[in-house]
Amino acid sequence: MSVLSADTRRDLEIHRYPVLVYSLVPLVALVLQAWLPRVVGRYVWFDLPMVVTVYFALGRRSPIQGTLLGGGLGLFEDALSHHAIGINGIAKTIAGFLAASVGVRIDVENHTIRLALNFLLSLLCSGIYLFIYRFLLGMELEWSWFTELMKAMGNSVIALILFPLLDKTQIRD
Amino acid sequence: MESFFLRYRNLLVLLAMLAAQIIGLAVQVRRSEAGRGGFDTPDGPGVRLVRLWSEGLVSQPERLIHNSKMGLIYFWQNYIDLHRVHQQNVELQKTIDRLRLEQASLLEDARQGERLQKLLDFQEKYIYKTLAAQAIGSSGTDQSRVFYLDKGSADGLDRDMAVITADGIVGKVRDVFPHTAQVLVINDQTSGAGVILETTRIRGILRGNAAGQTQIVGILADQRIQPGEKVLTAGGDQIFPRGLPVGVVEKVVRDPDRDSFIDVLVKPAAHIERLDEVLVITSTQPRFNDQQEQDMTQSEEQKGAEVTAIKEQKKAAELMAERLPGLTDPTLPPDQQPLHDASNPSPIGHAPQALHADRFTPGAAGGDAAPAKPVVTLKPGQIIDPASGLPIAKPANKPAAQTATPQRRNP
Repeated sequence: MSVLSADTRRDLEIHRYPVLVYSLVPLVALVLQAWLPRVVGRYVWFDLPMVVTVYFALGRRSPIQGTLLGGGLGLFEDALSHHAIGINGIAKTIAGFLAASVGVRIDVENHTIRLALNFLLSLLCSGIYLFIYRFLLGMELEWSWFTELMKAMGNSVIALILFPLLDKTQIRD
Repeated sequence: MESFFLRYRNLLVLLAMLAAQIIGLAVQVRRSEAGRGGFDTPDGPGVRLVRLWSEGLVSQPERLIHNSKMGLIYFWQNYIDLHRVHQQNVELQKTIDRLRLEQASLLEDARQGERLQKLLDFQEKYIYKTLAAQAIGSSGTDQSRVFYLDKGSADGLDRDMAVITADGIVGKVRDVFPHTAQVLVINDQTSGAGVILETTRIRGILRGNAAGQTQIVGILADQRIQPGEKVLTAGGDQIFPRGLPVGVVEKVVRDPDRDSFIDVLVKPAAHIERLDEVLVITSTQPRFNDQQEQDMTQSEEQKGAEVTAIKEQKKAAELMAERLPGLTDPTLPPDQQPLHDASNPSPIGHAPQALHADRFTPGAAGGDAAPAKPVVTLKPGQIIDPASGLPIAKPANKPAAQTATPQRRNP
């Protein structure tokens, strides 16, 4: 199976995945994110596309790939909502870029760092969403930081479980 | 120059992505006349295309998951868990038979009610046609409380159709794709439905808040509003027909932004967080199916037979009346009426002459022969002589009862 080309300068540090994993995991995350709220009701305290964005941005350590993946998944999420397309896109674009930029400098195998990164980036994403909605677009939006805090925690817990599973799909030399 | 792009390519890609999305947002955003931003207006063609692609990509796996789940449930319910099914079936059949008769009667009433409403120029609507649909997915975020149905424009769905369950209202169709439709739920912040409190008759607008609760906003503080009061649709929003259950008042809280106003938190009647099957009201015009038409025809025939029987009875009575001799004929002038016709035998001749005339005999006391004596001139117990018409003296030892004897003899 073909693999994604790695950056030559940091070839040994970059995680590589089968194309199938790299394409299917984001799609599955989108589908589950859209389907699971039908099961769990109002407790939608997770954002699977966000977790996947952070994982691949950290693993690939490429800000461009993190930016594109985050932006793409965010746009898909926006398209499924009834809001303007681009709010989540901008938030996740920044999150993907930052995750990849941080991934170049720190040990991304450490669980604590992964957990902390997911928590902080999720909160940052929520903040950017609120900023765009209220200040950039000038629209009214009631906001619950409690829900966003719970979502950030939910993302961290999911990352703790999902990241080791996805690590097993890496292509190792 | 080349080194600049290579050196800052990450940042440039980031800025390009952000700029593209901000421009896209600027194009999409429309402001309502009231100054409140909203996205409930129809999307432009480009945006709609993006939504269509995304929905097409996600809805197929969702449909697969949903169908698998429903298949498992169906298999369990129809092949494994079959306790008391036969008995339930018999009971249900009886209920259906009874309800069909009741429904036929109600449909007639509804049709009559609508005719009357047309006469009175009412604008209310009845639910006449619904389409059952399955909820297969959602937006995935609590900032956008929408879900997707497995039916779309190909099945007759259209924008702004009301979505309900047997328990109460759910939302409205916001966007329609060929085989799916997006439903905006009543607990979304951008939704709105006209509602009325059942007992206090206070009207308001129902919408959602950040926590996903439904609330009636913009109501002046009123002590009469108590938890437990039912909330119904008011029918003024041109989406939900009047009188559908919405929920019950859960709590009354002060409006944080405006003094003297309150927010009424409503517990929805429908289980909007976990919906599987919903009904979309596709028509509020009278359209009955074949069975309903047949039932109504049968009912009308029965009614017609009763009316015909009553008419037959009336006709027979009139015929009988015509054959009997009449005293007056409206077609003849007064002087030629049968009553004045000498050839017509009169049922009543002259009064027979009394064998023993008394004071009651025509022409006797008070009759033609003697003018009646005014009653005030008589005394109690005084007797009048029938021959002379003069009072006679009452014998002292004769009881008054004996004077009445001749009266009893008189036929």
